[in-house]
Amino acid sequence: MLSLRHDTSGSGPCSFPDSVNLTAAVVQDQRPFRVGVMSAAAPGTSKAAHGDVAAKKKKGPGALATAYLVIYNVVMTAGWLVIAVGLVRAYLARGSYHGLYYSIEKPLKFFQTGAILEILHCAVGIVPSSVVLTGFQVLSRVFLTWAVTHSVREVQSEDSVLLFVTAWTVTEIIRYSFYTFSLLNHLPYLIKWARYTFFIVLYPMGVTGELLTIYAALPYVQKTGLYSVTLPNKYNFSFDYYTFLILIMISYIPLFPQLYFHMIRQRKKVLGHAEDYSKVE
Amino acid sequence: MRSTPMIYCRRSVEILDAKTKDKLCFLDKVRTYTISFHHDPQWYPARQSIRLDPKGKSLKDEDVLQHLPVGTTATFYFRDLGAQISWVTVFLTEYTGPLVIYLMFYFRVPFIYAPKYDFTTSKHWVVHLACMCHSFHYVKRLLETLFVHRFSHGTMPLRNIFKNCTYYWGFAAWMAYYINHPLYTPPIYGEQQIRLALIVFLFCQIGNFSIHVALRNLRPPGSKTRKIPYPTKNPFTWIFLLVSCPNYTYELGSWLGFTLMTQCLPVAFFTLVGFIQMTVWAKGKHRSYLKEFRDYPPLRSPILPFVL
Repeated sequence: MLSLRHDTSGSGPCSFPDSVNLTAAVVQDQRPFRVGVMSAAAPGTSKAAHGDVAAKKKKGPGALATAYLVIYNVVMTAGWLVIAVGLVRAYLARGSYHGLYYSIEKPLKFFQTGAILEILHCAVGIVPSSVVLTGFQVLSRVFLTWAVTHSVREVQSEDSVLLFVTAWTVTEIIRYSFYTFSLLNHLPYLIKWARYTFFIVLYPMGVTGELLTIYAALPYVQKTGLYSVTLPNKYNFSFDYYTFLILIMISYIPLFPQLYFHMIRQRKKVLGHAEDYSKVE
Repeated sequence: MRSTPMIYCRRSVEILDAKTKDKLCFLDKVRTYTISFHHDPQWYPARQSIRLDPKGKSLKDEDVLQHLPVGTTATFYFRDLGAQISWVTVFLTEYTGPLVIYLMFYFRVPFIYAPKYDFTTSKHWVVHLACMCHSFHYVKRLLETLFVHRFSHGTMPLRNIFKNCTYYWGFAAWMAYYINHPLYTPPIYGEQQIRLALIVFLFCQIGNFSIHVALRNLRPPGSKTRKIPYPTKNPFTWIFLLVSCPNYTYELGSWLGFTLMTQCLPVAFFTLVGFIQMTVWAKGKHRSYLKEFRDYPPLRSPILPFVL
């Protein structure tokens, strides 16, 4: 609160009240606002503050970082295309959906794990996303790939694995090509549309596949005590992977709707102005 | 309101909402003025933030219009900080929790361990020692909150109490569960390890207390002045020569001692997480010391001598 000393000794020509009264209408209902553009500040306002705001607006990846990111996104797009092609070829060869995981196991592990770099991109600042949010998303994928599907051999032949692998594959191909084109400033409307539309089906599809897979893994984890530590031991620590997996499944309940509806809001915002823009930006 | 006479200055003051840029009020030909919004008791002063830049830092209660870098029309931005709660309340709540919770595990209250262990006591003497140390630590914190600390800010956002309590209470329960468990395993190196750990723990508790007292003495009652802390006659404060925030250094030491004493991995995790948070705070404090005082001793590190 700003308080200025009140000159009680003077008797100036101006008369003003001792305190300011606000009308309720003005103070109510402030919606959060995002980017702060420095308003026409009074002359002599702190230059440091002004420069700070200006500097923030100009920040973004430099030329080298952009080149690197383009290469990264192209490689990832290609990688997931390889997985997609691998799935289709294996299906055509076998004639069934069963056990397609084995045909794309290696590229899936490689490219999904490679996405960890994206956390680094945010941390370093060349990508303007939140480290925490990106970290969370990438690590949950990596967790499913390694700590569930890879670790519990018995679930690898489940159809639920195919369900989430397919969802991931289509999503990632669209997402990485979206980033590639955005970086090159030539984003075809089709890609933008796909990115903000396909998720409507792919997201629930992926979540279903993931949950079913974790559920299928539960009995094996309990039986073998996989990744679990019991008392007594010299570190006085215990961990029950079975309970942990159940908690993970439960966490989908609050998390999934939030992320899903966030994407729906994004969709309205991004595609809502479809009529105003031309097809290629 | 103070009655010290002010130098006459002709200014206009306008106050805009930081988010919407709506003009909240405009004062023409201001000489000197007290600005606060008295309309609605909901907008108590502690939650009002008035600043020169919408995204900048709040101005302080003591700031004087005349000394601010503004022109003939001063533009201020108002931001509602949200519901506030006093620091003292938060500290008392977040520290009482661990004290009570740990004791519940120590006394093996029902529904925690298997029923045959209800209200039994551990056969390991280190478990009793650990309980005493843990309880002592939090009683000390409570007493310091009531009688030692002088807070710069009266309040913090209300949501912090939920966040902080979850952290302290959650970790306390997690640690206490294992230390007081019927299947607890005492430290490998037995009495030697426990004795060393206890010495480290007590040393750091005294050190931490000494720093809190030294910091309190820097500041006269009711004031919010900031001064560079220096070593006093108390040897425990000589660490000020090397470190800006020795209270955190000693706190880390206390928890390392407790980890060694209990040889319990959750305690190690708690120590690690606390260390990370305190390092962030120490670096911030160190930076603001450097910014505020030109003659700040160059040898000092934020939290660990020469290292961090």
